Amino acid sequence: MSKRQLAMVMDLNKCIGCQTCTVACKTQWTNRNGREYMYWNNVETYPGTGYPKNWMELGGGFDAAGDLQPGVIPNLEADYGVPWDYNYDALQGGASFEPNVEPTWGPNWDEDEGAGVFPQDNYFFYLPRICNHCTNPGCLSACPRDAIFKREQDGVVLVDLDRCQGYRYCIAGCPYKKIYFNPKISKSEKCILCFPRIEQGLPPACAQQCVGRIRFVGFLDDEEGQVHKLVNKYKVAIGLRTDYGTQPNVYYVPPTESPAKFDADGKIIEGSTRLPIEELEKLFGPEVHGAIKTLKAEMKKRKETGESELMDILIAYQHSDMFRLDNNYYNQVAKENGQHPLAPVDNRYIAGKHTKTGHEMKFFHGGDIKAGGHH
Amino acid sequence: MKKLTSTLLAAATIASALAADTAINALKVSGSLDKVTNTSAVWKGAKFSTVTLYPQTTIKMNDKNANELNVDAKAVKAEVAAVYNKSKIAFLIKWPDGTKSVQQSGKTDTYGDGFAVQFASNYSNPAELPYIGMGSAGRQAVIHLQKETAKTYEPNGNGNVGTQVNPNQTDLFDKDLKAFNKTVDSLGNADYERSFVGEGFRSMTEIKDGSSQSSSNMTYVKKGWAGTLSRSLKDEYVDLNAAAIPVAFAVWDGDKLGRNGLKYLTSWTAVVLKKGDDKLVNALHGKIEGDAAKGKESALANGCTGCHQMENADAPNLMGPSLTNIGGYATADYLRESLVNPSAVVVPGYNRNAHSNYAWYNIEDGKRVSTMPDHSWMEKADIDNIVAYLKTLKAEAK
Repeated sequence: MSKRQLAMVMDLNKCIGCQTCTVACKTQWTNRNGREYMYWNNVETYPGTGYPKNWMELGGGFDAAGDLQPGVIPNLEADYGVPWDYNYDALQGGASFEPNVEPTWGPNWDEDEGAGVFPQDNYFFYLPRICNHCTNPGCLSACPRDAIFKREQDGVVLVDLDRCQGYRYCIAGCPYKKIYFNPKISKSEKCILCFPRIEQGLPPACAQQCVGRIRFVGFLDDEEGQVHKLVNKYKVAIGLRTDYGTQPNVYYVPPTESPAKFDADGKIIEGSTRLPIEELEKLFGPEVHGAIKTLKAEMKKRKETGESELMDILIAYQHSDMFRLDNNYYNQVAKENGQHPLAPVDNRYIAGKHTKTGHEMKFFHGGDIKAGGHH
Repeated sequence: MKKLTSTLLAAATIASALAADTAINALKVSGSLDKVTNTSAVWKGAKFSTVTLYPQTTIKMNDKNANELNVDAKAVKAEVAAVYNKSKIAFLIKWPDGTKSVQQSGKTDTYGDGFAVQFASNYSNPAELPYIGMGSAGRQAVIHLQKETAKTYEPNGNGNVGTQVNPNQTDLFDKDLKAFNKTVDSLGNADYERSFVGEGFRSMTEIKDGSSQSSSNMTYVKKGWAGTLSRSLKDEYVDLNAAAIPVAFAVWDGDKLGRNGLKYLTSWTAVVLKKGDDKLVNALHGKIEGDAAKGKESALANGCTGCHQMENADAPNLMGPSLTNIGGYATADYLRESLVNPSAVVVPGYNRNAHSNYAWYNIEDGKRVSTMPDHSWMEKADIDNIVAYLKTLKAEAK
């Protein structure tokens, strides 16, 4: 367990599935160098196959006894989907508009399909997913190489690319399938919670760009922070599939509202709701009942009295309240450890534990770091 | 009758333990060993020895498909020759593999065939060699790895970030775009060869600073691979200028989803450079004392199976390393040491976090202390018997 833990809360009542977060992440991190197929952030339709296909059935995570479960490494074409492009250049010569590969599968292949029968009782909601930066990460436990580590200062889970040798046990071990194999560099890569932004006091790109303002970011132990209030004070934000035993640190405010069903004549069935509570229970466990109860009670309170701290938080008035990332904290940490504030990896191995000369790290500004030799 | 059967069984198991691989005799050559391939002339007079590589089953990894593919994996027989000159030593290893597997550049679930050669940094005491799986705390090993891969683009720290963008997002067209793609392509590397130094799996560090010079190749010929490695006899990690040196070999089968943690490996094998010093050869290839049948009884009586899976028929047991192939890749001295001083070598690859209820070791003063009870109270003859039994625990060859 790390000293402090950064967490994100996503309010599913407000996600409109616009994929702005997906695009923000992709353009920042994964549009190049073997990452083209990866979505460190994706928004899937639930119920649905998700990304990668049927990820909840691919194993990983821990059983009740605490043993890491075997898992499956998804196939690029069949499970993630090959990113395809079009022959824009050839159009000038009169060619017809064609994709460069025959698309057979891709993320959100079943977007907005959901479940049930239209128009009587069909339903779905959007489920945005990033790495959960777990307290007990399955990927970290699966790595025989000590290449995955959890930062002490904020619990962000990172891959040390210098140590990673591309065995991919981490992918089998992660129950959320949120760590990916980059075949171009033969190493595993994953969401880094935009730590270079975070260290400068900026939220991750996915959270900053979110048009629905559904994402809150902050330290779990920051009692003044909205993340702490949603997770610990009101207990309306719950981890996804906590039954996997990894103690995820991305929390979700479950969807509370859904329209009533229609009967065969197209009339509203009073008091019915389309979203089966069993589905929410499957995703968020039995705590979902308490969360929904609290949310409904606070909504009522707000209606009746005009007062509710919880509703004020969820309305998300100010980015400055939603994101509590004191960058002085990171500067302080860097100073205490004698590190470059932007050093992306811990120094255990970059120094070349067993080699005489260490490796060099290049930075764009602020000078290079030359790691030492034998300790 | 029962007694007769057990005596016969004992005789048979001892015979199989005795049929272990022999030492490899290295040939001294005068020619250069700088760039060696499987067709180099240096191999003409070299003598090939058979080595047996056993499926590594000590720690069960968590890839479901790979585990299913490797149930009851058989051992692999390889032919190895060694040559050396004043400054370098070279190995040629040939092993059968029905399919050529290449780790492909556009796939997430393909694995390449490969091989590795391991050296011990300190082998002055043959009874205390580094743990066969890439060394152990205080006992450093050096590994040279070659793997069949498509081009890989190692993050090289050379600061060439200008080429690390999607070509569609550059402002380049036509000729300029082609030139850009060509530059990017030239930065890829199809030769995967890497060298590592470490004291056990988890601590392995890639040697990137040029402090170890080696050259490695692998060629697929006639339903099998021929791999060569040539390296300096001496660098800052190992000194191979001795009458005999311990070497271990590993091979990977990409078709069986092999990668580290899932491979075939030999025990430490003596490579004889000069005749006259039999200490290492005897330690690694000498006669095993003890009665395997009595050892099996003793092992059962002492409750070894309470923590270890001993034979394939036994249920897997997470409390200790699986011993189903230990006779194949562990030396008799290692087995003896593990009985009388379990903390001398604590199997390094085990991740305690993956199985929180099964602590193979505890950390005391920063050192890993095995949770296995010390068996130094046992009679020497009894220990010899158990070691003889453990040496019989190994898969049959294909």
